[in-house]
Amino acid sequence: MTPHFPAGHPHPDMETYRGGEAGGVQLPVGALQAALATEHAAVWVYGVAGAFVSSTLTRRLDEAATAHQARRDATQRLLLDAGVTPVPPEPGYVSPEPVTDAASALRLVITAETDTAGAWRSVVERSPADPDLRGTALEALTAAAIRATRWRATAGATPLTVPFPGAP
Amino acid sequence: MFQARPSRRRALAAGASTAALLLAGPPALAGCTAWAPAPDTPDPLEPPAHRAEVDAALAAAVAGAHPTLATAANALAADRAAHARTLRAELHRVRPDPAPPTAAQPVVPPPVSPEPAAAKAALTQAMRAAQDEAAALVLTLPGYRAALLASVAACCATHTAVLT
Repeated sequence: MTPHFPAGHPHPDMETYRGGEAGGVQLPVGALQAALATEHAAVWVYGVAGAFVSSTLTRRLDEAATAHQARRDATQRLLLDAGVTPVPPEPGYVSPEPVTDAASALRLVITAETDTAGAWRSVVERSPADPDLRGTALEALTAAAIRATRWRATAGATPLTVPFPGAP
Repeated sequence: MFQARPSRRRALAAGASTAALLLAGPPALAGCTAWAPAPDTPDPLEPPAHRAEVDAALAAAVAGAHPTLATAANALAADRAAHARTLRAELHRVRPDPAPPTAAQPVVPPPVSPEPAAAKAALTQAMRAAQDEAAALVLTLPGYRAALLASVAACCATHTAVLT
């Protein structure tokens, strides 16, 4: 699935970098803003999905939403510390299909996890070889891939895994 | 996926980032794709490529021996075979003709336990080891290879999640 990042997905050759002046890490600003935008979208998605799935899934939805909120907040701090204004959430989102029941709600959260995985993989790709930033981005990619797999299992979707999570 | 509703603010934001690009100029990260390991040193992608081949063979053997594990093991075998193909392609791209010629390591998976629980544990252990190996390489390799191994690490983590 082709992600459509709300803030526009920068071409690798058009990446801008910030930071690095005081021995800090050069941040790939465009990739981080795109990742932040997918985190905003994921937080919104989990809010929507909660209304349509069985209450037995509430805890898992809450955990996922909390994880995305934490990732969103950490990414905002990273950008602010580098003197960059973080992208805000969009005033509205249009989901790929109407969410009308549990099945369409689960497809939506799987799509959100797929999008965040793709955005964090791009952060890995455009980061300097820095353990902190690449490690953070890898952790976010891995967590999103695992949640996508678990939601596919919940939804009865197959296959449960993809060989290259986050790859375009 | 999420088409943001069009807004004037977005158009303005796009203009602003273009201006920043013109001011900042391209960073010294270009040339990643031209990266190659120093001659006469092993390519760091060789170990994960070989490991992917061994894991694929192990998973195929587990699938054949244990019908209850067949679905998970076959999916694992398919994904690890895809990793092996892609990593080999990248190895070949950088060194179409490896020199000095290296003796190809044989792909010999460990024997499959007759106990399903033990066979499953072996697959889980293999996925954790593969994830760790790929994750360590993500931190040091150039961008394209780091991203490739990040996906490999994440995929192995999803198989651990399926198995446990």
